[in-house]
Amino acid sequence: MSQPGSLFQLGRERLALIGKHADALMQGYLKGHIDETALSENALNKLIDARILWRPDEQAPLSLRPVMGELIASLTQDERKRQINADVAEHLDQIHTRVQSLQAARAKGDYAAAEHHMQLLTERVHDMSGQFGDAIESLWHRLNTEFGFVASLDDKIREIELAQKQLRRLLDGFGLLDFDELIALAGSDGSLRKLLVSQLQARISEHSGSLLEVQKRLVLLMARFRQQQERALLVSRMSAFLRQHPGFQIGDYPNRTKVPAVVNQARGLSACAAIALDRAGDRDTLSQLARAIPRPEQQPVQTEIAEPFAVVTQQVTQTIQKKLVEDVENCFIAVIDSGNAISALEYLQRNELEWDPEIWLFQVIAEYEGMASGAKKSFKLEKVTRPASRFNQVQIIEDVHLGLRFFGEFQATG
Amino acid sequence: MIEHGPLLERLLEGAFICAVSDEHSFHKLQSESLREDLNHFLRPLNRRITHSEDGSVFFLAYHDLSEPARQQLSQQFNQTIQSLLPMLEWMQLVQEALGRDGALTVGDTIKLQEFSMKVEDNQSLRQRLALLAADKVFKSTSEQLDMQIKQVFKRIRELGYLHQPHRDRQFYIVTGKIEHLIELVRFIKDEENLPLEEGHAQQGDMF
Repeated sequence: MSQPGSLFQLGRERLALIGKHADALMQGYLKGHIDETALSENALNKLIDARILWRPDEQAPLSLRPVMGELIASLTQDERKRQINADVAEHLDQIHTRVQSLQAARAKGDYAAAEHHMQLLTERVHDMSGQFGDAIESLWHRLNTEFGFVASLDDKIREIELAQKQLRRLLDGFGLLDFDELIALAGSDGSLRKLLVSQLQARISEHSGSLLEVQKRLVLLMARFRQQQERALLVSRMSAFLRQHPGFQIGDYPNRTKVPAVVNQARGLSACAAIALDRAGDRDTLSQLARAIPRPEQQPVQTEIAEPFAVVTQQVTQTIQKKLVEDVENCFIAVIDSGNAISALEYLQRNELEWDPEIWLFQVIAEYEGMASGAKKSFKLEKVTRPASRFNQVQIIEDVHLGLRFFGEFQATG
Repeated sequence: MIEHGPLLERLLEGAFICAVSDEHSFHKLQSESLREDLNHFLRPLNRRITHSEDGSVFFLAYHDLSEPARQQLSQQFNQTIQSLLPMLEWMQLVQEALGRDGALTVGDTIKLQEFSMKVEDNQSLRQRLALLAADKVFKSTSEQLDMQIKQVFKRIRELGYLHQPHRDRQFYIVTGKIEHLIELVRFIKDEENLPLEEGHAQQGDMF
């Protein structure tokens, strides 16, 4: 064993070394390996000698020793890398050995050795309890940040499953602590009893309470994540289904004997009110309101002047309408003359008519539909359509083909 | 009762009241005795207060399912079904564009600018959005992405699924009405025995 004085020196130097190269070490922690060009040969060797860095195997790059990684993870509460150590058996074995050494030293009357063993034993017990505390604190931290250190829902659910396993191992570890055995081990020694029994018991029961709470919260969080996942799947699968089955008919729920609550949603009503003059008390308020209405600045146009204008517009509209009907009739005549089927839009272009194509098609269809059934039979009208959207069955008419019906046959254009 | 006038009026207008759209009223409606009082008032109007299964949103339902009420429900149900696929597609678009793994839920916030940037950078999302915007539920005639997005969000706000806290800021919060829609989707799935459990739901397989 090193002399206490030189151990102190060595420890201080190495801690200082960590501080001196904090930047490079943190880079190494984040990247998983140390950038060897960032440090001098000398510094690298020092760090390796100080057991801070190591090369896991010959080909591998230089990286932090596991304990260094754990230290940083624990200091920074970095849950991606933080370890939950739930090994209780190892601690218990060590405690047994220490107690035996302590009792042997006392029996020999070697008080210096006994004190040394007592110190190690105390540390060991505190380590064990502190390790549980750290593990529980880490679990709490994960819970409170909702496992924010992983991004996707699937990863979060996996992390919760892992945390649940760790929690179970911790609880199993608590089960290994047999206080009857520890009482027997401490015997009549007051300080040992205090250390191994009363203090430890208090801490463990505190930890168990905390763990049970964590367990409860983990279950709740898991349920919430699972629910979120289920919703996302529901949305994506339902929309995929509806896309694949555009004609799918959903049941007529509102007309069932028992209407499902989810479709029972009342129509909106608006509570309208109008000015009422039957209450004398309201008159002041109403007259104020009336006075507050802004007056129109322009004189209103007299009806006598306005009327002829409206008539003119109507006449113009009627003239336009007549012209349109005439043009469409000519189009039908052209079909009869030529004996061939034609496209209505082509006819419109060829004759350089100035109608809007949409209005033109509308009028052609209207004319056809409006014919007497005998006349209608001698024509055949075919609509050229395209779907408006893939979400519905609306068809947009792009053109109509007009032809004569000979022997019930339709002559297609082109 | 006088003090609940504005709340009653909003409910009668067909509003869905949740913690996002009207936090104060939503908390008031948690009280069963108040709901009873209001129901008493609503009874002659053939209305009663109800809520989504998870309790995240309150609205009015018919008390008696009379013939006129059923006709009204049929009409409304048809409208909801017609907008169902576009709504689901919108939810997926937002979820994918903003890189979230859960479906949109009450209280989620959407910054239009962020959404717009994400869609602009992704050709497939852009195409899907253009198709969606042209749907008759949204009726956008614009060729510009920005206008299409604005129109889609404006419509969804009108439908009550989004709340816009500041009228001049393009920032939206998902309302509790979305939970009602999800419940309807789940109901349809169960009721029609839709085979939605297997993995044949490849997102975007239509594109």
